[in-house]
Amino acid sequence: MLEIIRIHNELLGTYGDRGNADVLAFRAKLAGVKTRITDIAYPDELPSDGDIYLLGGAEDAAQALSLEAMKKKMALNKAVKKGAVVLAICAGFQIVGTTYVSRDEKIAGLGLLDVDTEPGNRRLVGDISVQTDFITPALTGFENHSGVTTLGSDAQPFGRVLVGNGNGDAGVDGAVAGNVFGTYLHGPVLARNPEFADLLLERATSTTLTVVNDELADRYAKWRRDVTK
Amino acid sequence: MPDIRLLLGVALAKTASAASKAVGNKGETLPGRILLKCQPDAIALLAAKKHVVLVSGTNGKTSTTKAVAKIVSQLGAVTTSGSGSNLSWGAANALMSKAPYAVLEIDELHLPSVIAQTDPDVVLLLNLTRDQLHRMHEVKRVADRWHVECAEAANTLFIGDIDDPYINYALAQAENVVRVSFGGRKHQDGAVCPQCGRYLTWIRARYSCTCGLNNKITDRTFPKGSAAYRNATLANVVAEALGAAPIEFSEAELERSVSKKFGEKTAHIRLTKNPASWTEALASVSHDDVILVLNARQVDGIDTSWLWDVSFTALKNKRVVVCGERALDIAYRLHVEGIESRVVPTFDEALTQSTNSEVSVLAAYTAFFGLVM
Repeated sequence: MLEIIRIHNELLGTYGDRGNADVLAFRAKLAGVKTRITDIAYPDELPSDGDIYLLGGAEDAAQALSLEAMKKKMALNKAVKKGAVVLAICAGFQIVGTTYVSRDEKIAGLGLLDVDTEPGNRRLVGDISVQTDFITPALTGFENHSGVTTLGSDAQPFGRVLVGNGNGDAGVDGAVAGNVFGTYLHGPVLARNPEFADLLLERATSTTLTVVNDELADRYAKWRRDVTK
Repeated sequence: MPDIRLLLGVALAKTASAASKAVGNKGETLPGRILLKCQPDAIALLAAKKHVVLVSGTNGKTSTTKAVAKIVSQLGAVTTSGSGSNLSWGAANALMSKAPYAVLEIDELHLPSVIAQTDPDVVLLLNLTRDQLHRMHEVKRVADRWHVECAEAANTLFIGDIDDPYINYALAQAENVVRVSFGGRKHQDGAVCPQCGRYLTWIRARYSCTCGLNNKITDRTFPKGSAAYRNATLANVVAEALGAAPIEFSEAELERSVSKKFGEKTAHIRLTKNPASWTEALASVSHDDVILVLNARQVDGIDTSWLWDVSFTALKNKRVVVCGERALDIAYRLHVEGIESRVVPTFDEALTQSTNSEVSVLAAYTAFFGLVM
C-alpha cells in the first residue's frame, strides 16, 4: 500500500493543489498500485513512514502555521531520510526551503531544498511552462506568487522556464534534491502533467510503472502544452 | 458654482452612451470612463447629492443589488448598476442619473475607493471567498483593504454577514455596524483567523479566536438557509435601516438562474463562478441531464486550478456533457472523481446529447451571459 500524505490541506489548500493527491491515487490505480490518501489536519503530527508527501499553496498566515506545526517533530525530514518523495508547491515549496521572508521576518524553513525566498516587487501571475531534465515533454501549470527564490549550491532547478516566471530568478523554476521536488506550478501540476505523476509514483515504489493508457489525461496535457507556448 | 468639468463630462458621457446603444452595446462602461476622464472626482461630486447604498462580496452582488434597488425604490427614484458593471466607471455611469437614491454593485477591489468617494449611507457586505485569484491574489488581501476603509467611513452604516470571518474582520473597526448571522456556516478558506493569523477554532458552524473575532456575538440572527435566502434577508436588513418596507423575495429571484427554451429543450441555466458558487449550485442540480460550460477569460478567472477544490459527487449517475473553452479542464477533473462526461465543442451540440426535455446547466460567468443574453 502506497501511503500518500496530504499535509494540512485546510492551510495549504488555497489553490486546488489537493488534486495532486487525487491524481496520484488515480494514476496508481490505472497502474495496478494500491494507494491510500491520508489527510493530516493541522496541528496533527505527520507520520514519518509515508511514501509521498504533498504540500500546496497558501496565504502567509496559513503558511506560517503549517511550518510551525511541522517543525515540532520534523517528521517530514525524517521521512525524506528514509527515501520518501515530496512534492511541494508554491508556499509549500518555500516551506521546505532553507529560509523565506514573510512580513519583513526571515523564517527558517525545513531545509529540505537549498533555496531562499524573498518577497519580489511584483506579482508573478499566469500560465507557465517548464522544461525539466527528467521528463521529456515540457510541463505546464499556472503560477501566482510574489516570491523570488534563489538556489543555493546544493539545489538543482526543477526546470528551465519556457513561458512565465517560475522562481523569478535565473530563468528557472523550483528546485530538486533527490526525491524532494519544489515548484511554483499549480494546475494542479499533476493533473496537467500525468508524466510527472507517474515519475513520482515510480520514485516512491522504486519500480517501473506500467500505466494503462488514459486518453483523456494525455489529451488534456497535450492541449495545455500546445496553448502554453 | 457648477463644476464645468463635471457638466462637460456628463454631456460627453451621455452622447457616448446614446452612440454606444445605437450600435447595439449596453453603453455602461464607455460613458463612465469618459466622465471620469473629464472629471476624475465625478463619483464624489455626483454622489454628494444622493443617498448611496453599495453592495459588495464575492457571490450574489448582482442579484442582491437588484433586490436592494427594488426595496429602496419604495422611497423614491433609484439609479442602479447595469448588470455586472461593477467597476468604478460603472458606478460613475449610474450616478449620472438625477434619481435621489443610488444602489450600486461594486467590485471587491474597487470597493474601498468607491466608499471613500461616495461616503455612502449604507454598505452591504455579503461574503468573501476565493474568486479570480489572478486578479485578487489572496482573499486576505481583499479583506485587509476593506478592513482599513471600513474603519475610515464613520458616516456609513455597514451591514455584513459575519458568519463569513473575512466579513467580520473587514467590519471589526467600523463605527456603525449591523452584524448579521444565519446561525453560522462553514467557510472553505476559513481555517485561519483573518484578524490575527492564528488557527480559528470552529465548533460546527461557529468560529472564535483568542483575538476576539467570532460569530457568536451578533446584532441580528436569522435561521439558516441558501445563499439566495441569505442575500434576500440581508437586502431587507438594508431596507429596515433606510426605513423602507421589507419585500418578500422568492429564492429564485435571488439566484442567478434563467430558464430558457432552445427548440424542444428547456435549459435551467445557473451562474457559477468559483468554488463557493459551484458548490452551492451543484447541490441544487435536479435534472438527469447536466451541461457544464466553462471558460477562463478575465472575469471568469484565467486559471482553473480551483476545480479541484469542488466536489462534483452530486453529478454521479447523471448524464454529464461539458463544453466551453476550458471543457477539458472540467472533464479531466470529473474523470479523476469517477464521473465520465462527454466533451463537445458547442452548447448546441451539448443540448442534442440530452434525452430529456429539461436540462440543468451550470455555466461560468462569460458562458452564462453568452447563453442568457
